[in-house]
Amino acid sequence: MRRHHLLLLVLVALPLLVLPPFLSLGLQNTLVSMLVAALFAVSFNLLMGQGGMLSFGHAAFFGIGAFATLHLMLAVEDGLGVPTPLLPLAGGLAGLGLGLVAGYFATMRAGVYFSLVTLALAELLHTLAPQWDGMFGGEAGMSSMRMPWGGLVFGSVLEVYYLSLAWVALCLLLLWAYTRTPFGRLTLALRDNEQRVRFMGYDTHKARLVVFAVSAMFSGVAGGLLAFSNEVANYTTFGMPVSAQVVLHTFIGGSTVFLGPVVGAAVLTLFAFFVSDLTRSWLLYQGVLFVLVMLYAPLGIGGIVELHLRHMRELRWRALAGPYLGAAVAGLLIAAGFVFVIESLAVLFSSDYAVLRRDAGGLPPFPFLGTEWQPLSPLTWLAPLLAMAAGGWLASRAGRRIAPLWDEARRVHTQGGETA
Amino acid sequence: MAARLAGGTALAMLGLAGLAGAAAAEPLKVGIIEPMSGPDAATGELYVTAARYGLEEINRAGGFNGEPIEILLYDNGGTAAGTVDKFKQAVADGVRVIFQGSSSAAAGQLTADVRKHNLRNPDSRLLYINDGGAALDLTGDKCHFYHFRFQAPAPMLVGPLVEAMSEAGELGTKVYSINQNYSWGRDMETAIRERAGDGGYEVVEATLHDVAKIQDFAPYVARIKAAEPDTVLTGNWSNDLLLLMKATGEAGLDVRFGTAFLDQPGNIANAGETALGHYLASTYNLAAGDEAFPEDYKARTGHYPVYLEPRVVIAARAFGKALEAVDFGGGAIDVTPIALALEGVTLETAMGPVTIRKEDHQAVMPIVVSRVEKGAPYPVDGTDMGFAPVRTIPGPEAVYPVQESCEMQRPG
Repeated sequence: MRRHHLLLLVLVALPLLVLPPFLSLGLQNTLVSMLVAALFAVSFNLLMGQGGMLSFGHAAFFGIGAFATLHLMLAVEDGLGVPTPLLPLAGGLAGLGLGLVAGYFATMRAGVYFSLVTLALAELLHTLAPQWDGMFGGEAGMSSMRMPWGGLVFGSVLEVYYLSLAWVALCLLLLWAYTRTPFGRLTLALRDNEQRVRFMGYDTHKARLVVFAVSAMFSGVAGGLLAFSNEVANYTTFGMPVSAQVVLHTFIGGSTVFLGPVVGAAVLTLFAFFVSDLTRSWLLYQGVLFVLVMLYAPLGIGGIVELHLRHMRELRWRALAGPYLGAAVAGLLIAAGFVFVIESLAVLFSSDYAVLRRDAGGLPPFPFLGTEWQPLSPLTWLAPLLAMAAGGWLASRAGRRIAPLWDEARRVHTQGGETA
Repeated sequence: MAARLAGGTALAMLGLAGLAGAAAAEPLKVGIIEPMSGPDAATGELYVTAARYGLEEINRAGGFNGEPIEILLYDNGGTAAGTVDKFKQAVADGVRVIFQGSSSAAAGQLTADVRKHNLRNPDSRLLYINDGGAALDLTGDKCHFYHFRFQAPAPMLVGPLVEAMSEAGELGTKVYSINQNYSWGRDMETAIRERAGDGGYEVVEATLHDVAKIQDFAPYVARIKAAEPDTVLTGNWSNDLLLLMKATGEAGLDVRFGTAFLDQPGNIANAGETALGHYLASTYNLAAGDEAFPEDYKARTGHYPVYLEPRVVIAARAFGKALEAVDFGGGAIDVTPIALALEGVTLETAMGPVTIRKEDHQAVMPIVVSRVEKGAPYPVDGTDMGFAPVRTIPGPEAVYPVQESCEMQRPG
């Protein structure tokens, strides 16, 4: 199992190191966003997945990290002798500081009450920031410039990328090391049964506070990296979309696996990059993806991968290949049908079509995918519906064939575990 | 990666260019960065529609540099991070001119981004046409040579508003100022106070409140009522304006409103009769202008230009006029001569001439003050109410003095 992990790590790390210089500027930028989102999601998951505390206001620490880094960056512009690559450190410190203060109050409660306190905290900063010009630069925010250091100009995206990669790799390593410490184990116990931890003599409030502060600190580093890369930040960094995004990344990626949130962050950042300029319905697709993952794969993408890795030897891959292929085809059919319907509706309700409609004085055919479609023709709507129905049928068939194979693999796995 | 919405026309023109043979000319790429998804999408949509309309007009007149202008759309989702991401993407796509306007916050970021980009990349500078960001510091502290603002900030609206209302005998002597607590609202409040002497009124009370958070304005209306003003001046937009007016109507308080955003789509329909008699200062009024423009706009986009749309078209037309004065002979494009040409543009509009002030690149635009009336031409929101023009104040009279904080470094 460990060897698989190592192999996977190399498979991921190598392209990240080697490929970027050959990618387009747009993709390089996206990779930086991806790294930032990944670190943010993993530090969020320390609190959520490992500590069992669902924070709805993690944007607070992310944002404070960004602003702290910008303040330091401005000071460096004025001649302060801090090496440019160390700027995100300010974000970490600010995150830690705010995390200790906010965490003290938030961790007094668990469950929904905890979530609400964190939500309120982020909202507090979101409201305060546009009005506090000195600290947050008003609603236009703050802007600074990376200063050259040690022969590096830090003007190009590539330089920013490699620095971010180094920071994220270091932070992920630290966060992973954290999970291996006795305190990391205690964090899991806090999630599973806080009462029991208390009976064992631990001060659970303090313990939860430490988890909270560590998570806030690394979120701050992530925010600092964002500020380092963007050189600007404004109050919207404290907004609900940022807090929601990290929850989405973590759940879609899988909160039960250490690197799950990285997968979620990567998938959704790339999704946004490729889809957000193609269609205005991309947020809808992202939402549907979230709902589907929650309904059919609550472990998340990372969880699914890890499940397969764990049952690598017990699974009968040859028997699974057919049904898996079927499921993939089914997924494609359903997605194609759904996207067709949504995009057609988007065209039909657009202002461009309104012009066509007025000129034609009825419901003219609408252009989509390079051809014309009759809005009232049953063919236009039956085709995608049929595709979806066929996909559904195929999916249920594949599902029925996959389930027994998995049951068998699990049985063999547990038996193997008992004999070992 | 951006959707090339110029689609059909661009393709057709590319085809033509292909026929023409050695068409190695560099097309000018213009990026429009606005929210097209998320809560601000409705406003973003108007900016996109109007900017596209204006830029396609340039293309119909032959484009620029021997090629049609390539229009690229970028959806920033209305967030700070989205704006930066899309700015970087636009740079990666080779965009040289950016149109943006739907938020001062995004404008503040973009103008800083453009300034930094131009410092680092003197060979591929960018031009930023700000067709909406009204914050004063965009032409103050943050001003730079490659930023042009086609929007009237607070003092430019308050002056004409007060002048026209007072001339119509509807301003009174007691004014209540209520605004949103961020730079725009604070700019408004400052402008309202500064105008008190010239306008012959006294600011009986000034209130700043949270932005887009208040659901019930009854407590604020109670304070207004207690202060007994003749007129309420407000820069509020969206729900903050609508709910304020509704609460005033429900409280049976008979005051006149002087506003800056009453023409936002939906406001009149939602406010109903309460809106009658209220004033608006804006940069355009269809009823006072030529009839060809709204008809052509409607033919191409499906609706009459509303709210910010005419102003964005003015920005695009001024930009187009600057392009006419520049010729790269099909070669590499440099935005510096374009910016220099834009400084010298005088655009005749139905409201009067629009020019650019060299010192801070603020567009000197005429301001039109209107009054909500039944039976006005171009009724809005499917009601029988519309904005009847009261008075048009020429740009040079309306414009505010150059801010001392603007230290513009000119090229060369």
